[in-house]
Amino acid sequence: MAEAVQPGSTGGKVSEALRPAESIHHDTTAKWFLISSISYFFVVGIIALTIAAKFVWPQLLGSVQYLTYGRLRPLHVNGMLFGWLLPADMGLAYYLVPRLCGVKLWNEKLGVATAILWNIIVLGAVVMLPLGMNKGWEYAELPMPLVVLVVVAWVMFGINIFATIGQRKYEQMYVSLWYIMGCILWTAFVYVTGNVAVYFTTGTNQANLNWMYVHNAVGLIFTPIGLAIAYYFIPRASGAPLFSHKLSMVGFWSLAFVYVWTGAHHMLHGPISQWLQTIAITFSLMLLIPVWTVVYNFFATMKGQWHLLGANIPLKFTMSGVVFYLLTCFQGPMHSLRTVNAIVSKTDWIPGHAHMALLGCFSFFAIAGAHYVIPRMFHTELHSEALANWCFWLFMIGGLGFFVTLWLGGFWQGWQWNNPSIPFIDTVVALKPVWTVRFFSGVLMFGGITTFLYNMMATVLGSPKTGIAKAAA
Amino acid sequence: MLGKTDKSAIGFVVAALIFFFIGGLLTTVVPPMVDKSWSKPFENNDPSKGPTGKLRPYTELELKGRAIYVKEGCWYCHTQQTRTIYADTIRYGWKGVPSPISTPDEFVYDTPHMFGTKRTGPDLSRVGGKYDTQWHRTHFRNPRDLVKGSVMPPFPWIVDNPDDFTALVAYIQTLGRAKNWRPDNDYEK
Repeated sequence: MAEAVQPGSTGGKVSEALRPAESIHHDTTAKWFLISSISYFFVVGIIALTIAAKFVWPQLLGSVQYLTYGRLRPLHVNGMLFGWLLPADMGLAYYLVPRLCGVKLWNEKLGVATAILWNIIVLGAVVMLPLGMNKGWEYAELPMPLVVLVVVAWVMFGINIFATIGQRKYEQMYVSLWYIMGCILWTAFVYVTGNVAVYFTTGTNQANLNWMYVHNAVGLIFTPIGLAIAYYFIPRASGAPLFSHKLSMVGFWSLAFVYVWTGAHHMLHGPISQWLQTIAITFSLMLLIPVWTVVYNFFATMKGQWHLLGANIPLKFTMSGVVFYLLTCFQGPMHSLRTVNAIVSKTDWIPGHAHMALLGCFSFFAIAGAHYVIPRMFHTELHSEALANWCFWLFMIGGLGFFVTLWLGGFWQGWQWNNPSIPFIDTVVALKPVWTVRFFSGVLMFGGITTFLYNMMATVLGSPKTGIAKAAA
Repeated sequence: MLGKTDKSAIGFVVAALIFFFIGGLLTTVVPPMVDKSWSKPFENNDPSKGPTGKLRPYTELELKGRAIYVKEGCWYCHTQQTRTIYADTIRYGWKGVPSPISTPDEFVYDTPHMFGTKRTGPDLSRVGGKYDTQWHRTHFRNPRDLVKGSVMPPFPWIVDNPDDFTALVAYIQTLGRAKNWRPDNDYEK
């Protein structure tokens, strides 16, 4: 178990995979993807704040039909998933796959074309969703023409990555490569199930496909590509070899097998067969296996390196993300249990849980990656370490404020719902302080996004350090 | 066997897809073949087996109303399922009559399905026939005029368009009505 492995892998030759070979890489595609995704993070952050504000001031923008909660929520969700997180992860994949293979990206022009197409998709969503062009399935709201473009872009991404891996210099593939390949393959099927196959079904059957997609959008798209990034940057940023190759295999293959079974846990107690609910619960509990093996591997890798955490921004973001991963993936199996589910299902606990996964964990990984690769791709220093620290703490405090108040509020809400003598509206009014804290936590997180955007842009443009940044330092 | 997949990309692809498709097929393709109630519309004429009634397809007007429900994102805050939880049946019942538990056969004509995941507002699985048209008109114009403390957005542009408003209300009045669950048949128009 405790075999000491090089970051590359067990083989001595493969460890070269993580040695710098910057000169051969152009990184044009990675730069395009990262810069545009960080910009969308900021834009969609404004939408996020707006919808959080609507819970506190329900009349806000109330007379504009394009800006109601029902129109902006899909823009927030799709904007964060497909405008920020996925393209940021893809940008990082375009950076790290060639380095792990010791070769140039297979086709840089194809990569740039993919980035342009991706921007068209996101801009299309920004226009079409507020107009109410919503297919009506969660996470799969994007209108059909955009779905087709997503599939095309994904195939272009897949070809480029697989072709790069096909001509790799090192025979053995590092864990990050498995996760990226897994993500590309599974996403193709999961995305088509959630966006196309649903058309051929109705009612419960359709909902089952929809939840299979929603659950695996997180479990088989954002989890593997996020873990690929963490597996790359934890050994890289800490300078320590990955603790165990074997454990990483256990983690990967158990994820590949277990995740897809759990979709029906979104309909526990609902109009879907009880036996299918039981299967989903059983496999949801088994999710602890891939999660705990991965987290143990990361923590064991950090052993003896924890002193680096304070001054190392990418490491700080990644390891906090790992802790949030552990927490969110403990919540998941626990609220799949029928008894717990009867309290928290459909409450504000759920957005608290979802945000810890996608913001607290996977966005933290992507932010860590951006802090690490952007200065290196542009052959410069990070504009300001102090600002990066501000960014971290704004996200951390805002994030915790958001998650913790929603969990507590969600439990409270669920208990009230389960007492039918309390009128429903009283349970809404009771949650107002929770939503107010959520809004102000959102303000802090938006501060984090703004700092992040500014720091990255200033790094890219190489502008001289501002007086403010120096004072903060 | 899996030990070799980190050296062979093709071996890896095959293994990753097999692992995925075992669970993928068993949980999506197989269940509707096993449980026929997913595709057979609700129909019951025997009161001893629970509420009687028959699920009928939506009319054109109701479908138009449903499209508005989808477009405005009502489903982000309102679920449509009375779950197998005692409090759900009481809370979403009416005048002392508990709401029957939602079953798959009541949703056979629903696409996109509107089960929902989040209850910011109350569940709507049995809202059909609870409130009349005038109530809905006032409520859509400004929910807080009728329900103090509500956080629902106002929808004046729906009320101001008689076609849209009539269609949406027609759809809402169908919700949960396949089962004749109110013995006095005291449904509102």
